[in-house]
Amino acid sequence: MALQDSKYKELVDAARTAGVTDLQVREQDNILYIDGNAPSGTVKDQLWALYNKIDPDFNSGDLILNVNVALGTGAKAKVVTESSNLNIRKGPGTDQPIVGKAAHHELVTVLSKANDQWSLIRTDKGEEGYVYTQYLE
Amino acid sequence: MKQIKLTAWALVLLLGVQSTGCKSKDKKGADTTQTAPLPDTTMNNMPPPVQIAPDTALQTGLRDATKDYPGVQATVTNGEVTLSGAVTRDRLPNLMAAVSSLHPKSINKQQLIIK
Repeated sequence: MALQDSKYKELVDAARTAGVTDLQVREQDNILYIDGNAPSGTVKDQLWALYNKIDPDFNSGDLILNVNVALGTGAKAKVVTESSNLNIRKGPGTDQPIVGKAAHHELVTVLSKANDQWSLIRTDKGEEGYVYTQYLE
Repeated sequence: MKQIKLTAWALVLLLGVQSTGCKSKDKKGADTTQTAPLPDTTMNNMPPPVQIAPDTALQTGLRDATKDYPGVQATVTNGEVTLSGAVTRDRLPNLMAAVSSLHPKSINKQQLIIK
């Protein structure tokens, strides 16, 4: 039976119920790919917690869960680093020079999405640059 | 002679009528067939194939994704990401989420020690 109808059915159902948009559930070469945009960081965390419950420590390697928090352009986003400041860089990449810092839990303005991993932001102090999107919600 | 001509015309007309009859039958058949090719419609509604990032893009993405995990190393071969080193259990979901968002084909973490 397909992974989405058996092992990960609860996870797929939870993603649908939680309002994940652009949800795509596909199976290819015995790996299930779940892609979509979560309405909040909490939903994303809940889905990962459920995945961890179904497959402890993600050991099976039979699922790629790619559910990201959709950030609205022009909207405020919160810096959700574990505790440290978030580096603001000149370009989208860790090889780019650091041009500023955003504090843990600081609210910044999302100006645009550079790619799936990087967003262009501006702080209230006027610092502008690219940050790793995973640390925003 | 006139009678032969008339018979010939009658024959032509008759064949014409029969031919129209056949066409209409064919059309009916075509309508029936039009409802049949559901697989085509289904194909159009199928989601696009899974997007797997090229190895070069994965390598660049992994450099950024693992930057905040100093004990973790990542390599890529044909879309498969292999994670090794060590990570704490509480940070594992974030690491997996960061790697999963790069569009790898698969993630092999058998060599990754969970502390």
